[in-house]
Amino acid sequence: MTTLRFPLSRIEGHARVEMEVEDGKVVSAQFQAIEMRGFRYFMQGTPAEQMPVIVTRICGVCSTAHHVASVKTLEDIFEVEPPELAKEIRELLLLGQLIQNQATSLFIFTMPDRVGASSIFHMDESEADPEQQLSLAQRALKVRQIGTKLITLAGGQFIHPIKAIIGGVTSGIKKEDAANMLSEVKEMLPIACTLFDEYWEMSLAMKERIGTWGDDQPAFYIASTERTRPKLNSDTIRVLGPDGTERASFPPHLIREYLEYEETEYSYAGQSSYQGQVLRANSLARINLAVSMGTPYADDYLDKLTSTFGKPAHPILLFDLCRGIELVYAFERAIEILSNDLAYEDTSVPYTPKDGEGYGLVEAPRGPLVHHYTVKDGLIEDAEFIIPTVHNMLAIERALLVAGDRYVSPSGINLELEKAVGRVVRAFDPCIACATQ
Amino acid sequence: MTSKKQSLPRFAVLQLSGCAGCEVSLLNANEWVEKYQLVYMPLVVSSHTVPEDTEILLVSGGVRNDEDIYNLRRAVKIVDRVIAVGTCAISGGVANLGDRDEVREMFMAQANRHHLPHLLPKSRPIDAFVDVDLYLPGCPPTPELFMAALTGPENFQASSIVCQECGRKKLKDMRPKHLLGFQQGEVLPDICLINQGYLCVGSSTRGGCRAICTRPGHPCVGCRGPSDAYIEKESSVWFDRIQQVFERLTDIPPQEIYDALHSPQLSLFLFQFTDYMGNGGPSRPKEKVL
Repeated sequence: MTTLRFPLSRIEGHARVEMEVEDGKVVSAQFQAIEMRGFRYFMQGTPAEQMPVIVTRICGVCSTAHHVASVKTLEDIFEVEPPELAKEIRELLLLGQLIQNQATSLFIFTMPDRVGASSIFHMDESEADPEQQLSLAQRALKVRQIGTKLITLAGGQFIHPIKAIIGGVTSGIKKEDAANMLSEVKEMLPIACTLFDEYWEMSLAMKERIGTWGDDQPAFYIASTERTRPKLNSDTIRVLGPDGTERASFPPHLIREYLEYEETEYSYAGQSSYQGQVLRANSLARINLAVSMGTPYADDYLDKLTSTFGKPAHPILLFDLCRGIELVYAFERAIEILSNDLAYEDTSVPYTPKDGEGYGLVEAPRGPLVHHYTVKDGLIEDAEFIIPTVHNMLAIERALLVAGDRYVSPSGINLELEKAVGRVVRAFDPCIACATQ
Repeated sequence: MTSKKQSLPRFAVLQLSGCAGCEVSLLNANEWVEKYQLVYMPLVVSSHTVPEDTEILLVSGGVRNDEDIYNLRRAVKIVDRVIAVGTCAISGGVANLGDRDEVREMFMAQANRHHLPHLLPKSRPIDAFVDVDLYLPGCPPTPELFMAALTGPENFQASSIVCQECGRKKLKDMRPKHLLGFQQGEVLPDICLINQGYLCVGSSTRGGCRAICTRPGHPCVGCRGPSDAYIEKESSVWFDRIQQVFERLTDIPPQEIYDALHSPQLSLFLFQFTDYMGNGGPSRPKEKVL
């Protein structure tokens, strides 16, 4: 028996893959999260009202999702409903995160695989025309920056947002600030679309080269968005079957009843499943759920994906293309929201702190994120973070086995395997800081 | 292009146990792309070790497991200059909220996995293991601060405290009697947050962030750490100073301020004081803090 160990890069956090090979066949593949800070433990005893600002430190990439999920959890406990304007500003905040995250995953994490470079900052070292590659990198970073700017505008701080509060948000968005942001988003939308077109072409070319879209066996899917218009701030989680039909829909407090959860000895992250079956979260889950995105450009891309690959689609490299559809959707939806009046004063309602138990759900870029707190004497007695990356763990390992089968044979190990491992993991865009906390 | 790029100074980013917020902030600072060559940063570059001839090493995250120690010691041997970036690298960071016996015991008993990097009982700052040339506090430091740390702090202009960069007016006749919750209430524009009853510690927190939180209306939680006036002292001096500011501007009972200052949201950043490290080590000299 031989153990192959692959370090990973261009993903969030510290993880590695171990494969056991016996008689020319991969017999097991483990995706190992190798870091942990221990939020679940050290949050105990924290004044509940301070959670929304502390939990952003779980992850600097997904901080916005944790910020909003935390506020929603406390609103659930304190029984308070934020005003509409606050919900709109929170949606804008989550859209900013979606843009930043999908642009990062598409252009910084996975585009180098498509052009054969080690990073977006080394694109001119790839075989393609250096000028063209540099232009690609510059445009990609600009598109990503729109996400950062939206987070700053709607969240008050650029990495660890502060503006969502129990009962609402701290302030509206001034007309002038909204107008400036609106014109920037409008200006960048066509650039984002062109970039996505180029990325789509690169993906087709990569498929030609490697001969596969990756693991395409059916799976279950989990998302908290809707069939029309991906709603990032909903209160319902849905599970789709491998045939695309809805198998379950439930509020966040029932998530542990619907999903199995297990910890393993080989990873600091757990793994979940649905009725013992492989589950997938993230972009492909949402797109398989979506009948329409509700905005013109994103709907064109959705039609293109569906007519090319069918629905539900299962090959894992389609996660990446789905991220592009969502990137375009987030631009279009941000334009709609920024065109509304966000300046008025009614941004929050008062609340009275209470003890109790509550749940908060948001659709993070990686899937449904649930916070679950128990508050006693105003302090956190228990805090549970149910992380979307954890729903993808079994799916990642299955896809690794598929890649292992493809590149390992009794005659030897094809050197393409290392690259394939990277592509497989990046398709799921796992976040290890979140998965382990 | 390639030859020009190869003559640029080479820097690496070593990420220990942290949240990657520092890395995201660095990515937002596009200016370095033209001036530096990024040779190692697993978040964005496929390379698995810090290459020889790397000049600058930025380290983010705290030392939380034995692999962090190994990676840190190995990387600093290669480079000329080590910069500790962000709260976690400087103090161990948010995980220090668990530096209590009952939490530590539960954590060590339940969390460790045998075949993986072994967790340490406490998250440690990097200077508990290696020498640091420059500290860049912030959670995370802004892109502007990253550029200043890379290009040389001597050219960086900043106020000594956040208050001076905030520009909100302090009023003598607006004296709240109690603190508002951290997260509660409407914020009046242009008026000092302390006058409005918020626990803002910008009066003793290191400037350079351009007051990005207080200007839109969120009280400073002190993520940049103590200003030069306090960085070489014990945290008690800093606590006293904040108390004085509140006594001058408000009628809030001192005990209320004391309790709030010692709550997790703020102590998160106070770990940057040496006396919180609990090893009696020397304080960080202010010349080394940007």
